[in-house]
Amino acid sequence: MVHSIKTKTAKNTLSLPLSIISPVDIGRVERELWGIKNYVEQNKLKKEDFKLPKLSRLLDNLIDLNNVNLNNQLELSSLISQVNDIKVNSPVIHLSFSVDPSVLFLEKITAWFRKEINPILLLTIGLQPTIGAGLTVRTTNKYFDFSLRQRLANSTDYFVKVIQEQT
Amino acid sequence: MTIWWLIVIIGLILFIGVIFIYIILHLKSSPRSEKELNDQTINGSIDNIFNDEFREELRNRGRLHFEKIITENAMFLQQDLQLTTSQLNEYMKIEITQKLQSEFVKYEESLTTAKQLTVEAIQKTNDAIDQQRETLNLEIQKQIETEKKQLLARFENNMASIVNHYVLEAIGNQIDLNDQLEYIVADLEANKQAMIEDINNGS
Repeated sequence: MVHSIKTKTAKNTLSLPLSIISPVDIGRVERELWGIKNYVEQNKLKKEDFKLPKLSRLLDNLIDLNNVNLNNQLELSSLISQVNDIKVNSPVIHLSFSVDPSVLFLEKITAWFRKEINPILLLTIGLQPTIGAGLTVRTTNKYFDFSLRQRLANSTDYFVKVIQEQT
Repeated sequence: MTIWWLIVIIGLILFIGVIFIYIILHLKSSPRSEKELNDQTINGSIDNIFNDEFREELRNRGRLHFEKIITENAMFLQQDLQLTTSQLNEYMKIEITQKLQSEFVKYEESLTTAKQLTVEAIQKTNDAIDQQRETLNLEIQKQIETEKKQLLARFENNMASIVNHYVLEAIGNQIDLNDQLEYIVADLEANKQAMIEDINNGS
């Protein structure tokens, strides 16, 4: 089962599966699509029967979600165009966690971002062990620190008060 | 007083000696008169009586008498001298005692004054030391307070990072991300609008 958020923009109606998270993923899909397109065109020129190569999981999810027939050159070209459009125009948010997040966790986070922020949003994931817990979010112009480190730093006055009461 | 007595006694002895010598000389050089001439005859006979032996005997007697007088006077002189010496000793003793007493009194006064001055000096020194100690105590107290405040301020300033460090070291890797999801989503929800605005307005 592939979870997805449908893109309902005028230009781009492509839905991104939750397995495609980062710009790297979308780049891989685009490269793979270009490879398939070349493969299909070459075989058509040879006028030979051909069978599509085994697809990657990301691309498989994408075509399943969007009901695209890769044998149809028109649909394939459209898909490449939309993927390229997403690659170029989709907003990217960088998230940092203290530990490497699991795929399931990333899918949940991605689902939230695509539902609440933008349906074609891409995420880059970083590792920042010093934050302890929580995450930090860096958008185009802003930085949000939801880490445990920041919470503890904000509680300095409270700690001082407690220690002074104890002493 | 005793010296005057000594001088008087010595003068008396000299006077007696002079009289004695005068009598001797007078006896030897008496003036010759007719009577004397007559007496010379007598004397001639007397000379027979007072021959050399007799004269020698008289001379011896006179010598003995003189020696006796001299001895007696010497004895008196010795007694006087002893008396004078004892008086002189007494006087000297008294004088020296008085002098010593007065010197001792002066010395005692000097000692008392010196002692008083020393006590005053010690008292002043003690006062100065007390004052210095009080000032030093206040200064030390002030410095301790300042240092305590600085340490406390430094501790308070660095406490957050220390606590953070230890808490993060202790529990940082122990909290599962899935357990944090609820809180993370809550934080994201709270800042959703800001993120949307930034994405829409961002270049």
